[in-house]
Amino acid sequence: MASSTSLPRVGSDNRLLDALGMVPGVLLLAGIGYAAKILERSVNAYAKAQHWTFPNIEYVLWAILIGLVLSNTLTIPKVFQSGIATYEFWLKLGIVLLGARFVLADVLKLGGISLVLVVVEITLSLALMTLLGRLFKLKPKLTSLLAIGSAVCGVSAIIAAKGAIDADDEDSSFAIAAILALGALSLFTFPAIAHSLHMNDVSYGLWAGLGVDNTAEATAAGALYSDAAGKVAVLAKTARNAMIGFVVLAYAIYWAGRGQAERVTNKAAFLWKKFPKFILGFLVMSVLVGFHWFSKGQVTSLGNLSKWAFLLTFAGVGLRTNFREMSQQGLRPFIVGALGEILIACLTLGLVVGANRIWGL
Amino acid sequence: MSTTEKSSPSGNSNSLSLDWWAVIVALLLALAVRFDVLKNVPW
Repeated sequence: MASSTSLPRVGSDNRLLDALGMVPGVLLLAGIGYAAKILERSVNAYAKAQHWTFPNIEYVLWAILIGLVLSNTLTIPKVFQSGIATYEFWLKLGIVLLGARFVLADVLKLGGISLVLVVVEITLSLALMTLLGRLFKLKPKLTSLLAIGSAVCGVSAIIAAKGAIDADDEDSSFAIAAILALGALSLFTFPAIAHSLHMNDVSYGLWAGLGVDNTAEATAAGALYSDAAGKVAVLAKTARNAMIGFVVLAYAIYWAGRGQAERVTNKAAFLWKKFPKFILGFLVMSVLVGFHWFSKGQVTSLGNLSKWAFLLTFAGVGLRTNFREMSQQGLRPFIVGALGEILIACLTLGLVVGANRIWGL
Repeated sequence: MSTTEKSSPSGNSNSLSLDWWAVIVALLLALAVRFDVLKNVPW
């Protein structure tokens, strides 16, 4: 009896310690984010006062850059690590809150267009990455992981698929490293290409949501272009994330058929387990706004809370990008990933331009 | 690679509970904003 009452206490003490252990890292994320906001304001004001022609560098880029510089020049002490890893929680929190800034009709219209494009993008990406993996003689399961990562949603998809297709730890860290390195590059290349093509916010947001793999990088790549583009990028990426269960299930069935993975007995339960639940929160927020449950000022407050959550995410994106670590992961998976991503970026750009002609985005 | 998502041998990922936490915290914040506990959040 004594032991049965003391066990949960130990558990809750551990949980409390875990939560307290996150505080330094979260404070670091918040500090970087706030410094980025101050830099945005002061650098732009200084440039204006000096009559310099200086590009308007937004807080998103500052937050990523500060994080990148810190993680690639210093060794971040271990005490910060668990808090830095919460960036994914802030990302999901930001996305749910962002639901308040979408009218349900927009979600349905843009989400519907995104879903159509997502299905085409996923089919093309899977085929392309599989072909490249075979051409470069990568291990079949590593090819599967790279295909899933580039077709659906980066790191989350690779982690979800790893267990389902019984892939090696080494293969999944190769695939994750390739996807993260390419995600970091896309932060700088996507906005630059879009500016040179004079893309509008909706078209660019769709392109970033379809073409950038990891949700955090897709959100950042969208926000780097404009606030409106950031919103659309999140919506398109969310539509893509919603497909994770179907793609992973298809691969699990394929590998189980070859006797190299566990058989999936209950497909509906598998799909529900893999479904990113935060999407439901995003939709609930959008419905609540649609029913005028919040005043206009309250919607603005929710939008601002979402921006604060994203600010911590962007700081985390910079902090967890370590080029030295990535370069140690091997060149071939990276080349396959890079070739695939360039081709997918071109394909998705073509899709968005086509959609713009058809639906007038 | 630091990520909050870790896979278990069965391939389940604890990102699901992270998802639910994000939804719960967001809804609590939304309630706080709705009932004016949090007012005029600045940016």
